[in-house]
Amino acid sequence: MKEEKIVESKDPLMEKIEQLTPGDLEKALRVFKEKIDHKSAVHLNSCVHCGLCADACHYYLTFNDVESIPAYKLDLVTSVFKKYFSFTGKTVPGLVGAKTFDKEMVKLWVDSLYGRCSLCGRCSINCSIGLNIPYLIRAARGALESIGIVPPGLQSTVDTAVEKGNNMGIAREDWLETVEWIEEEMQDEIEDPEAKLPLDVEGATYFYTINPREAMFFPLSISAVGKLFHAAGESWTFSSGYYDVTNYGLYNGNDEAAGTISDRLVQTMETLGCNVLVLAECGHGFNSNRWEAPEWLRKKYGFEVKSILEVVAGFILDGRIRLDPSKNTKRVTLHDPCNLVRLGGIVEEQRFILKHSVTDFVEMTPNRQKNFCCGGGGGQLSMTRFSRRRIDAGKVKADQIRDTGAQLVATPCHNCIDQLMELNKHYKLGVEIKTVCEIASEALMV
Amino acid sequence: MKYAVIASFLFAAASLTILVLKTFSFGKKELYSEPKGSVKKGIVYAFGKGMMPWEKESAGNHLPTYIGGVLYHGGIFLSMAYLITVIVPIEIPPAVLLIFQVFCGLGIVTGLGLLVKRYSKPHMRALSVPDDAVANILVDIFLIAAFLHTVFPGMTPYFFPAAILMFLYMPFGKIRHCFFFFYVRILFGTFYGRRGVFPQKPRVT
Repeated sequence: MKEEKIVESKDPLMEKIEQLTPGDLEKALRVFKEKIDHKSAVHLNSCVHCGLCADACHYYLTFNDVESIPAYKLDLVTSVFKKYFSFTGKTVPGLVGAKTFDKEMVKLWVDSLYGRCSLCGRCSINCSIGLNIPYLIRAARGALESIGIVPPGLQSTVDTAVEKGNNMGIAREDWLETVEWIEEEMQDEIEDPEAKLPLDVEGATYFYTINPREAMFFPLSISAVGKLFHAAGESWTFSSGYYDVTNYGLYNGNDEAAGTISDRLVQTMETLGCNVLVLAECGHGFNSNRWEAPEWLRKKYGFEVKSILEVVAGFILDGRIRLDPSKNTKRVTLHDPCNLVRLGGIVEEQRFILKHSVTDFVEMTPNRQKNFCCGGGGGQLSMTRFSRRRIDAGKVKADQIRDTGAQLVATPCHNCIDQLMELNKHYKLGVEIKTVCEIASEALMV
Repeated sequence: MKYAVIASFLFAAASLTILVLKTFSFGKKELYSEPKGSVKKGIVYAFGKGMMPWEKESAGNHLPTYIGGVLYHGGIFLSMAYLITVIVPIEIPPAVLLIFQVFCGLGIVTGLGLLVKRYSKPHMRALSVPDDAVANILVDIFLIAAFLHTVFPGMTPYFFPAAILMFLYMPFGKIRHCFFFFYVRILFGTFYGRRGVFPQKPRVT
């Protein structure tokens, strides 16, 4: 596919880059160095330019250009690393391809590291050496962020989360009202006034978080989980304060902001005295809060962190909920969110739940750890300047879905859902898209 | 001249060690998140199944390149082993010599093949830096010299300098991956093993 060039007559981000001073560039390099630990330094020393990562990337499969090859994107980072932090790069830069970090390089970083990478990590598992490419790209994004070079949509998502407590800026009263009316609807639907969406229950076993988009646009996701918890007779709670599972600090590379966002959930856990922090169906939210946040905060948690999928699979396994697959007879396929599966280790639970919830489940090819990114990760959904590219690169996923013949796509991630909904419309897939818990709740035998 | 070979090897080994130690100057981060899987199993996966063409799509989809890479590196390691037998010296039975010859020969063919591929494909060319060519050519020269030496033992005056050149260049360019590769695979296995991503859990039936 030939890519449409992104041309904006007056581009504030490009203007910002033009105004960068040598001091800004030095600062970005300093931050870049701070973000590199010994493991990253080993990775930065080890790419052999074999190019075998190329067709692991959905951008390359779509555009078939050099700029989309993961090794090229990584080389933009390693060339700067070599120039400033390696002996050979300093002495014979031409030999090893060491390059100066200047405004032109910043532009290339923006286009490649923000605009051509969803940090999905598929290149890493296919790298002939095994380099952790998304980590290196995130470090470089963090360096850009330190000098204010972040696509505005991505930065504002982080800023809103830091300032307002959730990434949609939902006011507390609105959240409480939303919980109240979803609870009423849920009670009516299952004809059980005892079914609750509990708030701020101290000492509850589970503290459940959500993606704020659920409160705004996908209330069925919330009531689905409510039904499952209720059917299992489990002790659980929402928080009236902080409940946002998302963390776009993972994507703009700012560890401090990312830590601030995640720490609110930790503090809420400690305030409520719950045992398990349960993360909603959100890929990057899971990776952030399960794996990365303890590193950002530099502390071990005194509680368990689980995906809602682990919890629901446990309910089924323990016989605490019963599901009737005959309630879902459509052909269902599953999209594996990269952050949850390839980077998070939650692989079989969603399959276990679906196989108890539907009669006709079919895998995509490839699937599990090897699945293709939908194209919505890495903050792509928030960066409007790259929207066209995101939709084009999503064709790989659209083709995967079409090939299954499924009528319904399940995915345990609201970011993925947003991207899949756009792909559904753009590529005329004619499928429904739901979360795993929504499908499981439809199969509930109450 | 054999002492010069040993000295150049020691230089390479010492320089690579310093390079690795230098990576520690960037700081070692303690991990705080609770592990889910097994680091040990992850590392075993990284060096075993995780490198197989049926497991790694990039290898399976590019089988000729993958096989070429395996033969190239096999040839290099056996040529190194042959170099040791010349330096010590150790008498080699004809059958073992034949193995050296076969692998050196295959190493030469695949090494040159990978070089041609790099510069004949526009995308590969665009990815390449001069070091990619220098490293490949130095190693190919070493392989050719090793092969010729297995046939004509009098070629020592050419074999040893080829080895010296390769060893001296090793820490400065991509040949360093002969060392870093193993380190990265350990890091790969640690990362994915700890998170319970690899090796894969039994599938739901």
